[in-house]
Amino acid sequence: MVNPAFLLAVPLGLAFIVPLLKFLAPKIPKFIPPLALLFNVVVSALLIPEASEEPVVSSIGGFSPPFAINLVAGPVGVLLSAFIALIGLLVAIYSFDYIREGAEEKYYALLLLFLTGATGVALTGDIFNLFVFFEILCISSYSLVAYLGDRSGVEASVKYLIQGTVGSSFLLLGIGLLYGQFGTLNMADIASRIEATGSTSIFIPLVLMITGLGVEGAIFPLNAWLPDAHSSAPSSISAVLSGVAIGIGIYGVARVVFTVFGAEPVFQLLAIIGLLTVLVGELSAFSQDDIKRLLAYSSIGQMGLIVFGLGIATPAGVTGGLFQLLSHGLAKALLFLTVGYMIYRSGSMKISGLRGMSKVTPVASFGFAIGAFSLVGLPPFMGFPSKLMVIRAALAKEELLFLVLVAFVLLGTVIEGSYFLRIVQVLYFKNRESDSKGGYHLLPLSGLIPICLLIVLLVIIGVYPGLISNFLSSAASELLDRTGYITAVMG
Amino acid sequence: MNFLSGYIYYIGAFGLVLIGLFIILLKSNLVKVIIGINILDTGVNLFLISVGYLDRGTAPIFAPGVQIEASSMVDPVPQALVLTAIVIGASVLALALSLTIKLYGHYGTLNLEDIRGQRW
Amino acid sequence: MKDLRSPRGIIALVLLAVIAAGLSLTITEIPFGSPDTKVGSYYVENGREETGAANIVTSVVTGYRALDTLGEVTVLFIAAMGLSAVLAIEKKKRKREVEESSLVLSTGCRALFPFILLLGAYLFIHGHLTPGGGFQGGAVIGSAFLLVYLGYPERRISTTGTDVTESLGGLAFVILGLIGFAVGSSYFLSNFLPKGELYSLFSAGILPLIYIAIGLKVGAEFGGIIDRMMEETR
Repeated sequence: MVNPAFLLAVPLGLAFIVPLLKFLAPKIPKFIPPLALLFNVVVSALLIPEASEEPVVSSIGGFSPPFAINLVAGPVGVLLSAFIALIGLLVAIYSFDYIREGAEEKYYALLLLFLTGATGVALTGDIFNLFVFFEILCISSYSLVAYLGDRSGVEASVKYLIQGTVGSSFLLLGIGLLYGQFGTLNMADIASRIEATGSTSIFIPLVLMITGLGVEGAIFPLNAWLPDAHSSAPSSISAVLSGVAIGIGIYGVARVVFTVFGAEPVFQLLAIIGLLTVLVGELSAFSQDDIKRLLAYSSIGQMGLIVFGLGIATPAGVTGGLFQLLSHGLAKALLFLTVGYMIYRSGSMKISGLRGMSKVTPVASFGFAIGAFSLVGLPPFMGFPSKLMVIRAALAKEELLFLVLVAFVLLGTVIEGSYFLRIVQVLYFKNRESDSKGGYHLLPLSGLIPICLLIVLLVIIGVYPGLISNFLSSAASELLDRTGYITAVMG
Repeated sequence: MNFLSGYIYYIGAFGLVLIGLFIILLKSNLVKVIIGINILDTGVNLFLISVGYLDRGTAPIFAPGVQIEASSMVDPVPQALVLTAIVIGASVLALALSLTIKLYGHYGTLNLEDIRGQRW
Repeated sequence: MKDLRSPRGIIALVLLAVIAAGLSLTITEIPFGSPDTKVGSYYVENGREETGAANIVTSVVTGYRALDTLGEVTVLFIAAMGLSAVLAIEKKKRKREVEESSLVLSTGCRALFPFILLLGAYLFIHGHLTPGGGFQGGAVIGSAFLLVYLGYPERRISTTGTDVTESLGGLAFVILGLIGFAVGSSYFLSNFLPKGELYSLFSAGILPLIYIAIGLKVGAEFGGIIDRMMEETR
């Protein structure tokens, strides 16, 4: 049995020495994150068989919960940590050639710490520990958005920082209120006490915590920071931000709502908020000309869809929401990585500047098309089964509210389809006026590997969703089954 | 009056939180907003600490030769939480100030309304 | 200052009123002075035997909830690195006239510097016996460096030294956590050294070692942060 603590300890330890290795050999630092992330992928894969039976609970320090912090590597935790490590690995490889300026070793250390923070949030079973790892995630993302030090990056980072810090303070306030009422910080312990007392005064801490985690998860109306931050960051960082960070924010909300509070009245509210987020995101994306800003708004829209799926609160709905989280992560990472290279080659961040890029960067354009089709939900890509699952779960609920909401969700998908297809049309069917870089360029190897791997994954899982859908449904039942979680941790 | 004397700490902490939020929402100078963030953090930390107070309790430290009842100590957990929260708040402050320096170098002003390189 | 009657001002005031109302509702749930401490009282009762530290807050911070402390150390590390990454881009060589500090100030600083360092070191070495600990001691050491900058504005500490100390401090913490696996425990951050005699300096297993690593790391970090900011604003 592998101890899940390794998933956190090893990347942390390696991240601490990355800046040191610069003194030994300037070339080494950039190879450390891929090694650490590969280790994480392997360990997560090793944990999968055990986690599907029963969550692997690992206490830190040898004391037993609730007197110690414990990591809960259940289906959700292992799934998310594998997902985070995989995307991180691909982005780290892409960064080899993409990041050429600035203090490179700091970039790699920050990237590794960012991913460790995300993994920590996914695995922890203690609410204050959630706050600490969430802060690791947030603060490293503030640093990475500002990494290039340029005008828009620093401005976006400051605005992101202000909003994110207010959110974190709300989260901490909610945690303080919970501790004051229940005297413990362990998620399972709090869940069992809430179940026992059924007190209604937990509403305020619940709202505070959802707000705090929701800032990072970009739920409406807390998403004002996202378009600036994701579009001004280096493209490799935009990929992990859109793919991993906001997904983990949504996971935090889900864990708090489902497992800790079990708050049924909130579910419908979540579905409505999810829908509003979808509409806000997709409508704003529709009229954008700046390609990265468009992708950022599209991320908001997709987060709304995930929240909607979670708000359905049936096993099918939650499974669909989690599936959508994965498929968005992979597709959006692919989109940002390809866009990064296309921007570099064409010199323009606008869609009009990408005319005919399919002739200049054929692989990147093809990757963009695949990612776009998957995001919209066209078969045979991964987005199709995930969206289908969410919509079917909503229809299966057979309530008028959900039928109305589904109609609007489909409207959002139509809007999404129209602007993505417009971009693909520009890429493939328009001609370039002036070829400043001349001829067509093949991606460097470090860019080729991640993009091709993502394309392959999107296709394979799209055609055989059964590969992961079983694991996803056990993940969904872990989120929904409060008593199961409590017994697994507290015994 | 007894009610107030007990809860004055909570009221004070929430007051600081509200003042901090007021500053963040309504001031347009970047440095003032950062100060507002600091006040907000301080308010939350004060609240956390006051949660753990035990009436007539003492610090949770044992000393040789002094008889201290374990049950007369204040709760040590909020102290550990606040220790972490203060350090995190200080780190955010350092990062925010460095970004402010950079931003001033780019824009020449600290007024958030003028710092609008990004369009809608 | 934003006009309070503008739309944004009104929304802000409404929001604050809602938050104030919500918070005041929760006050009655948490009686002041008689906390419902299941976990807290366990720590106070059993902290001495289970971790060997006389300062129960230390046993909570570095024993029971050591993972939180590791995360906190990481946050400070991230901030220091983010700060140096952001500020390192251009070095504008504007030589501003820096005023020489007076003789009294510089002599006073030079005299006080070693004592402040000593105090900081005392705080983090004795963290398990007296109030104090890694962060407190590290902050005191950071203030010692600040004093040097005030007294001798031309001096700089070598950022290589602080970077190396930071990284090694963090690495030491993680390795201390992992050694437990090698000596037979199956938990991360388990206390594998003997607990020793209560109240003596060499007690409480790895807790003082963790605090020493943290103290050095935090001191170096604050020194590095101050140095970089001073460099930027010359």
